[in-house]
Amino acid sequence: MTQNTSVTDEPPLLEVKDLKVEFDTYGGSVQAVRGVSFSVEEGKTLAIVGESGCGKSVTVQTLMGLVPMPPGRLKSGTATLRGRNILGTSQIDGQDFRGSEIGMIFQDPMTSLNPTMTIGRQIAEPLEVHRGWSHKKAFSRAIELLEMARIPEAEQRAKQYPFEFSGGMLQRAMIAMAIACEPAILIADEPTTALDVTIQAQVLDLMGDLQQDHGTAIILITHDLGVVARMADEVAVMYAGQIVERGSVDDIFYRSAHPYTVGLRAAMPSNDPSARRSLIPIEGSPPDLFSPPTGCAYAARCPYAMKICSTSEPPPFVVGQDHFGKCWLHHEEVAGGWEKILSGAPTLLTGAKMARASSPLAENKS
Amino acid sequence: MLLYALKRLIQGLITVWFIATATFLAMHAVPGDPLSGAKAMTPEIRKNLEAKYGLDKPVSQQYLIYMGNLAHGDLGISFTQKNREVNDIIREHFPVSATLGIMAVVFAGLGGTLFGALTALYRNKWPDTVIMIAVILGISVPSFVFAAFAQLAMVKINGAIGFSLLPVAGWGSVSHIIMPSLVLGLGTMAYLTRLMRSSMLEIISSDYIRTANAKGLPPTRIFMKHEMRNAVMPVVTVLGPAIAAITTGSFVVELVFAIPGLGRYFVQAVQQLDYTVIMGTTVFFGAFLVLMVILVDLLYGFIDPRVRVS
Repeated sequence: MTQNTSVTDEPPLLEVKDLKVEFDTYGGSVQAVRGVSFSVEEGKTLAIVGESGCGKSVTVQTLMGLVPMPPGRLKSGTATLRGRNILGTSQIDGQDFRGSEIGMIFQDPMTSLNPTMTIGRQIAEPLEVHRGWSHKKAFSRAIELLEMARIPEAEQRAKQYPFEFSGGMLQRAMIAMAIACEPAILIADEPTTALDVTIQAQVLDLMGDLQQDHGTAIILITHDLGVVARMADEVAVMYAGQIVERGSVDDIFYRSAHPYTVGLRAAMPSNDPSARRSLIPIEGSPPDLFSPPTGCAYAARCPYAMKICSTSEPPPFVVGQDHFGKCWLHHEEVAGGWEKILSGAPTLLTGAKMARASSPLAENKS
Repeated sequence: MLLYALKRLIQGLITVWFIATATFLAMHAVPGDPLSGAKAMTPEIRKNLEAKYGLDKPVSQQYLIYMGNLAHGDLGISFTQKNREVNDIIREHFPVSATLGIMAVVFAGLGGTLFGALTALYRNKWPDTVIMIAVILGISVPSFVFAAFAQLAMVKINGAIGFSLLPVAGWGSVSHIIMPSLVLGLGTMAYLTRLMRSSMLEIISSDYIRTANAKGLPPTRIFMKHEMRNAVMPVVTVLGPAIAAITTGSFVVELVFAIPGLGRYFVQAVQQLDYTVIMGTTVFFGAFLVLMVILVDLLYGFIDPRVRVS
């Protein structure tokens, strides 16, 4: 914990570089992930946001070796966990890192647990496999984990089957299962999407508290900016298989550096009665990833698109410390480009404060 | 659970009663009776015999008498075999049929789940193709054809190696059971393989198998603890009807392999209109199958916890 202040030669906890994943179909190959790089630091939360089909789930599922290959294909890229490769393998030093070093929870807890195995047994499984614990020892630890996940009467509950649990309880049981071996990273793939709003808050609270207690890094995949504002330290905005903007949570909300991020925020619902405004949708639809455009993938929907945007892909322009945006408007030859957009879009300036207020989670925090 | 089992048993009794009644009526609708056999007899003798066996009474009364006896577990005396009670025939020959049938079901169930799982794991690769071709053969070719081919093959093999590896026909030792039960179970096994394959394919791509992978469980553990138990569910469901198919199918296979099972008596009885034996074997088989279906339903509850509650 104290090391990560100034030590530079220590490799980051998780580092992904230039990840490209394709899917072969009868209609051609879909370029689902087109060169994604990011890193995660210990104890921090990275949120990956973007609309459906932008490749956020495929990115993390590739890291976890959960993408069936074929039809999936790893085109390029590296991923290292504390400097050791994890891509294309599920092993580090002969041990499966999944479940022990990286835990993962999924979108739909109702279908993500085995219907014919008790909750307790399913939570105990990683402990038996990764730590070689006995049946009994692992099961009693599973009860403790359920208690930690704030499931009442954990001892009885551990002997029950998934169909006897509610959705929110199942997701908390999933979290208990994912952190059973105290992994360094917890990947949460849209953990609250299938849950209703009050339950969302409970699940997010639980994740936040566990992170504080154990120093677990979280990779949070979501399309809910309210969740991002509440949970994230770092944010990566994905569009059409690429990270188009990356920065701290404040950078993303206060100093957006990509028109897509700006559009996403304008499209966010608000329940602030003083801000009487209608949602501003992003016109059009994402590009066809069978043959992605040569220029900026967002150009066709971007209200500020220039000539160059459709012909060549923008590089990541560094706009602040650890903050970049892949947009030509940041180029020095575009006179006052980015500032012009900012002034033309007043909704931007309300920033994260608005995001927090508009998040239904903020109100329902139990 | 106990209440459920009791309820099912009562339902089963009603089913058996239906089977008995329907068989009784159908049997009497067939022209002729047990006495219209080969031997010519004078009307007097015939009258005496009819009186002795109660055939001179109206059908409705015969029905009531039979049902009364059935309720006491008395299936009557055979018309064609001297002084042989139907109960004795069943007691003597049913164990043979049951052994054959159970072996065939075990073989079909194990083979079906195993091959089904294999085809799913090797989907669209050569093991899948080979097994699925065999499955289509197994479903479409009737068992007596397989029986004949199996006998022929065994004759050739025994001839080639110079001693009897497996007997071609007959009954008595363990080695006699192997070939007929394989032949008898083949069709069901093919059907179960296909069922298991589609079930397994569905399970493999399910969310909770993805979860199991994300937990870093070794593939063998995922296969045994997560995939098999869930995939085997549809197989267990059809196991009841499968037992029905196998035991009724065994009549032919028993004949081909010269096995002294109950099937032969059943077929003979129908040909000779031996009323009591027809009724006895039909009711007995009916009751047996109903019981099997109930057992399978109870077994289902043990495998799938969701069934237990409802």
